[in-house]
Amino acid sequence: MADVDSAVKEAVVEALALDDDEVTPESTLMDDLGAESIDLLDILFRIEKSTGVKIEASDLGDYMQGGIPDDEFSDENEIITEKGAEHLKTGMPQVDPGELAGTLKAEEVITLFTVQNLVEMVKKRGDGAG
Amino acid sequence: VRIRVGVDVVGVERLERLVRDDEDRQRELFTQRELDYCSGKRRQYEHMAVRFAAKEAVLKAMGLGLGACGWREIEVTRAESGVPSIVLHGRARALADERGIRSWRLTMTHTHRLAEAIAVAL
Repeated sequence: MADVDSAVKEAVVEALALDDDEVTPESTLMDDLGAESIDLLDILFRIEKSTGVKIEASDLGDYMQGGIPDDEFSDENEIITEKGAEHLKTGMPQVDPGELAGTLKAEEVITLFTVQNLVEMVKKRGDGAG
Repeated sequence: VRIRVGVDVVGVERLERLVRDDEDRQRELFTQRELDYCSGKRRQYEHMAVRFAAKEAVLKAMGLGLGACGWREIEVTRAESGVPSIVLHGRARALADERGIRSWRLTMTHTHRLAEAIAVAL
């Protein structure tokens, strides 16, 4: 498999038409780099082409939610629960569960997803562990 | 009754570049019924783009982000009258049920450049 770190970075740079130095491991794909859904799709397709690792958009959700049932991950107002926030830390170690629980909307979870989170996800998938 | 609205716009050329002549990718995003409908159209990628926008609009209306369910679990259908609608499957359906959503209204429009959809959940 191609070097995952550089394959992911290259996919992000090309899909979003950015300069190399604009993309760091800590960059969030949507908020920092301005990716829309179709850009994420483009990034995932490029990663599949260069690494052979296939990730569908719904895999991103599964990765972040970590198998917690939907009604336990967020409450009736679509706000992430304490349990949900704690679990987010598994796939996204940079997040602070205490800060997010009770305030983060379910639709905003994807906005916290970084380039490094994607690298780790591709690596796990590539190892057959994801 | 709580009314939820979602809207999305997609560049037709962008979507076309991603899925053109690639059946696997098309099947990842669209159901067979959707593909059958689009392939019969002269500007099939406009029709695919607007369906992609509709799927996004549905996610937004439910207060969910990308990845909450599979793309094929949100299906755009058409009544014989031509009125478009939404049929949800699997996880998407469960997420809508949890939110007490009973029905959908969908409106879509597209040009050769842009495809836009507005989804209303009732």
